[in-house]
This record gives sequence, structure tokens and C-alpha cells, in this order.
Amino acid sequence: MKEIKTKIIERIKSHFQDAVERDYDYNRLDFSVKKETIPSILFYLKDEMNFKHLSHITCVDWLEEKEFEVVFILWSYTDRLQVYVRTRIDRDHPVLDNIDMIWRQANTYERELKEMYGINFTGLEAPEEFLLEDWEGPPPMRRDFDTREYAARTYYTRPGREDAQDVRETIIKRTGEELPDFAKKYKR
Amino acid sequence: MSFFDLKGTLKPLTALKQFGRKPHTLKDVPYVTREAADRYRGFHYNDLEQCIGCGNCATICQNQAIDMVPVEGIEGKKGDSGLRPRVDNGRCCWCGLCVDVCPTGSLSLTKDYLYVSEDPNSFLWMPGVDNPQGKERISFFSTEETSLNDFARIPMPELEGMERVKSFAEVVLGYNEEQARAEASRCISCGLCTEACPEHMHIPEYINAIARANDADAVRIIYDNNPLPEMCGKVCTRRCEDVCAIAHRGEPIAIRWLKRYATETVDNADLIKEIVNPEIKEPNGFKVGIVGAGPSGLTVAYYLALRGFDCTIYEAHAKAGGMTMYGIPKYRFPEESLDKQIEYIEKVGVKINFNTKVGKDISFREIYDTHDAVFVGVGFPKPWTLGVEGENLKGSIQAVNFLYEINNGKRVDLGDKVIVIGGGNVAIDAARVSRRLGADVTILYRRRVQDMPADWEEIEGAEEEGVHIVPQAIPVKFHGDEKGHVISVEYVMAEMVPDERGGRPKPVPIEGSNKTIEATAVLGAIGQQGDYSFLEEEFAEKIKIERGRFVVNEIQQTSDPKIFAGGDAANRTADAISAIADGYRAVKGIEAMLVKKDEGNVD
Repeated sequence: MKEIKTKIIERIKSHFQDAVERDYDYNRLDFSVKKETIPSILFYLKDEMNFKHLSHITCVDWLEEKEFEVVFILWSYTDRLQVYVRTRIDRDHPVLDNIDMIWRQANTYERELKEMYGINFTGLEAPEEFLLEDWEGPPPMRRDFDTREYAARTYYTRPGREDAQDVRETIIKRTGEELPDFAKKYKR
Repeated sequence: MSFFDLKGTLKPLTALKQFGRKPHTLKDVPYVTREAADRYRGFHYNDLEQCIGCGNCATICQNQAIDMVPVEGIEGKKGDSGLRPRVDNGRCCWCGLCVDVCPTGSLSLTKDYLYVSEDPNSFLWMPGVDNPQGKERISFFSTEETSLNDFARIPMPELEGMERVKSFAEVVLGYNEEQARAEASRCISCGLCTEACPEHMHIPEYINAIARANDADAVRIIYDNNPLPEMCGKVCTRRCEDVCAIAHRGEPIAIRWLKRYATETVDNADLIKEIVNPEIKEPNGFKVGIVGAGPSGLTVAYYLALRGFDCTIYEAHAKAGGMTMYGIPKYRFPEESLDKQIEYIEKVGVKINFNTKVGKDISFREIYDTHDAVFVGVGFPKPWTLGVEGENLKGSIQAVNFLYEINNGKRVDLGDKVIVIGGGNVAIDAARVSRRLGADVTILYRRRVQDMPADWEEIEGAEEEGVHIVPQAIPVKFHGDEKGHVISVEYVMAEMVPDERGGRPKPVPIEGSNKTIEATAVLGAIGQQGDYSFLEEEFAEKIKIERGRFVVNEIQQTSDPKIFAGGDAANRTADAISAIADGYRAVKGIEAMLVKKDEGNVD
């Protein structure tokens, strides 16, 4: 396993200078590349390295760094190896090349990422809506989307729930604690 | 790419070949309900006994499906808000986050998922109350591994045991910024701890401020009702940590160390004043006299000074702090740390008359006559004696007196074999100080180690430093040499007999089990008592004292309305934070009494 992995890493690095690999145990490989390299590295992995199967495309929201990290997860049946191909894109203008001509199922994943994270795939042919109907808000899987606030705004509260109490307030009332105003912003 | 696909359209039609076949998989339907899969997330179940009402489930719920409500038969107490979760199953999406964040593991999801009703309001359930049968059907629950709570405390860096005994250097090194933020982030901000704290400090708020990297706000919140937080951050008895929600399945949040971290970010009195920036009211003309500059007296002085009162403390010793100055060894609470806090208290306008013993340098009568109110925070300075033969031999010293001498910078010659008698913090302190003076130390305690009233961390610390603890040992006689110096201690082993009235098990001596241990010094540490000889006869008669303590009402007022009391001399818990709490109550009492009376006259 180790030898196969080393060989793959060597070949990838000689073909794609911008690929940075991360070491993982077991049967996993991990490369980070620039977003321009994505179609070519995926083509290369599929055609030359036998990673015939695209397991998934997913996304990590690095809110603080103002970036999305899109992760392509590939699988090789012959080597029984998994490879992660990561790329970082600008969070404010999230654009990436469509790759559904390499794997057809990428189309579905891309539709999902478009709806949930707002990532635009250039050249993607797909209906506007995927799972969310009549969605007007920001993409809901983004970390700055406040699900709780959305739920409160969208769904009415059932009558009979008015007796709900705040745990902290209950204890404050019981002990006679006097919480100063400037401390209140640190309440749960 | 085209989405019309002939093969894909026709393929499903091949299912038609099953048409006409006898179905054999459906024979039990509808008589048998299919059992849900393992870890299925169905309706909630809550173990009401285990639940502490922390409300973490209600906080995490992204659908706002969970309310915290009181339940009949469950009373709120320390460590339990008395509230229990109620779920709106019409909103719940069974994501199971509530289970993953439940600190006690009381909340779980069951395999039940069928409920049919025409009444939409009947979907409002109280798990555990409305579905007691759910207990047998639990399928999705959290373990220490799956829980999203972080149960492991960030370890506190400490000096190594044998390194410590070489000097009086502070043992606990304190969190650095990264460690403090990480530890603070473990807190779930339920606030159950504030009820266990005698002073009801704003714990979740200041921990949250530390987690959000705003140490100045944390310091401000801490100083809101505790004028000696750095002391508490180092030596508090931290009852808060006993009831911490995380402690049910893990290590409690290091509340004390976090307070220590926040206060240590401010390293001098001027900076404390700048950061806390307290509002000091215009002088209102009232004078308050305070006897004793211990934690309770300092609290009264600080908060009354902020409220515009003219406060004067009369302190017998050369330094303020009371037992925290003269009783606690410097490796736990360094002197410069205390000095910084006292300096700050003086900066807000508190006057401290040092070396002024009430009853000797100034009479209590005089203080009483020249002030509008008097607070007595004199503590328990006088040690109890053992009452065994040979106790008055040379080399037999009271541990509090020994600690006083050491903390005062004096040298005490103990020899190389020290016996400490007792199991409280004073005993452990005396033992650990003796180790630092180079002696071999043995603690004799009449109960078991787990019965010791001392802090377990202190007991552990003592053991790490090489202190030998002999439990269930009752001293019966001190033997002396011809010069009248103690040479050995004779003790008898005891067995633990359960108390029929439900109290602590009692040690009963085993006859004939007498042993003798060599000693060059014996330190007695079996408790202290009050010394009220400074009170003139008229006051001694007027002020009610029961079992050695002042009898006070809920605002710390004694039977003389002008005299308030607090600290060890008024409460039974005998720790610094209780003394601070007494002081804070007295502040409100004195303010209400004087200011209200004054406003009454104006009307």
C-alpha cells in the first residue's frame, strides 16, 4: 500500500506542480490544488491513475478565512485507494469549473452545492431548483446562515408553549443574583 | 448532455414481470410493526432523575422545538434548575443534536416513531413524563465518546512534587491564553454553578467573555460582586465545580482556574482600576467602621466605598487579608497577589488602620459611637486544643500559629519529624509547609482519607510531596523527654462505625491497637474558634452569640441593629467565598438601613 501511495504521489506531483499532499494513514490520499487545476487533475486521476469512481463532492465553509474548500472524493477499485482532491475558492465569488463530463453523477452534487452553498459551476446545465422550493434566503448550509432564527421567523409557535422558562433567569430569580447589564451580552 | 434516456425510461417497466406472483414478504402486515433500526432516532425519552435541567437541549435546537418548563414533583436545588425539556414534535426534525449535547446523558431518542392524532396540540410532549414506556425503547443515546461535550479538562501546569518542596514557589502555574480559551469553550453556560456559589458570581458570563477573548470584560464581570477574585481564583473552595453540568460525566469546567487566568491578566492595582472602572458615588456622609480586614471586612469596605460611604477598617495585624494572608501558605497564594488586590481596594477610598487591635489600641465602644454602622468580621483566630496528655510540651504547636509565624516571615524550628493532627485544609497546609522546611511529615487523622474535609487536590498535592497520611488514627498521649520537649506521639487505631442517624461514620478506637510514632514537633489542626474578648461587657450581653458564632438575620444584622457580622464568626461554611458573600449581603443591609432611614427623615 505504502509503495503504491508513494508512486501515485510522485506521479501527481510531477504532473501538477501546485499539488500539495497531506499524509494520511491507511488507504487515503489527499491533495490540495489550485482551482484551475481541478478539471485536469480529475481527468488525469480517472484516465491515468484508475480512479474510476467519484464518490462525492463536498464543501467546507471556512467562514473566518472567507473561503470555501471544495473536496472531490475519488475511489480506485483496482488499488482500493481513496483520494481527496481539495481546492480553495473565494467565498464571496464562488466559481468553479463544471466537471459533469468526467462523471455524470457530478451533475447532482454540483446542483446540491449550488443550492446549499451558492457555488456556481461554469457550464453546469441543470434546473434551477434542487431540494429547496421557493427558497429566497441565503444558501442554508453556509455557516453564517442562522437556522434557528430562520425557523423562528418561518414557523409559528404552537399555542401552549408560553410557559417556557429560561434556565439562567430561573436561577437568577431563585438566588437573587443581580446580573449587571454589561454582562448580559455574554448570556447563553 | 441530454437528460432523456430511453433505457432509463423503459427499465422500470421490467418490474411488471413480477405481476401475478404470490407476495410472500408481506404476510405479517399489518399485524407486526417493523422494529426500527439500531440507533434509530424516534421520539424523545428523558430520564427525569438524571436530568439536571441545564437547558442545553433547548439552546441547541435549531427548530426551537424544545422548551424548559417546571414539572410537578421536581424541586429546583443546587445543581438542578428544576426545569425539564418539553418537545414540540410538530417542529422536531429528529436530528438528535439535543441528545449529542446533553451533558448528563439523560436525554435520548427511542425506537418509537408512530403517533397519530387529530389534535395538533397533542404533539407537545414532555419526554419521560408523557412517555414513561420509552425507557425500554431507547435507541439513540450519547456516550462519552459520541457526545459533543468536551469532558476532559485542559490540564493545569504544575510544579512537580519533589521540585515543590524545595521552595515556597507557587505550585500551580496558571493557564496561558490558549489553554484558558480552550477550557472556557467547554462551558455550556447553563449557570447551575451560580446557585452553588455562596456569592452567586456571574460565572457563565465571565467564562463566556474569556471564551470570546474579552478578558477585560471578564474581569469587569468578576469584580461586580467579588473584590478579591484573584484570591478566589487561587484558593477558593469552588463549590461551583461540584455541581457543574459537565461533571456528571466528565471533569468539571476549571471555573476557579479561569477566574485566576482572567484576574492575572491584570498585573497591577492601577490597571485593575482602569479596567474595572467602577462608578464611585458622591460621599453620602455615612461612616462605617469595620473590625478585621479579612475577606468579609474587605468586601463590605469595598462595595460601601463605591456606594459613597466613608469606610474605615481596623486591623490588628500589619497586613490585610486575614486568614488568606496569615493562614494560607504562600505557595498557594503569593503575597504580591494579595497586595495588588488590597492596594486596589484602598484606591477606591477604603481606609485601613493596620496594627490597631480593637479592644487594646481602640475600644469597640469608640468605633460603635463614632460610626453609623459597624461590621464585625473577626473570623476564628483561636485554635481548638486536643485535650490529650502532654499537649503543653515544648514542640507541640498549634498549626494556625505555626502558619502565622511562617507567613510573617519568621523561622520556626520543627526538627526533622513533624506530626500533624487533623484532616482539614489547615492540617494539609501545615504539613506541606513543614515539608518545605525539610521535615518528614506524617498526618494523623481520625477518620478515613475520603472523609477529610480538606480539598482533594490539596490532599493529592501533599501525597505527591511525600507527606505520609495515617488515617483512622486518634492521638491519645504526647510523650516528652526530661527537658519537657515532645519526643513521640502515642495514638490508637480506630474503626469506622456507621452513624445510625445518617451522619458521617464515627471513628471508634480499637482497644490495644496503640502505636507510637517518633516526633520532633507536633502541629495540632483540629479547628478554630472565635475570640470575642474585644467586646465590652454591654455589647457581649446585647449581641447574641450561639455556639461560638454571631446570630445574624438575612442581611447579616446582629441583635444590635447597628452591628453587622459576617465571615467565619457568623457562618458555618468557614471559607473565603462565604465570607465575601456575607460581606456583600451586609453591604446591601447597611445601605438599606442607613440610606432608607435617611430618605425617611427627608420625607
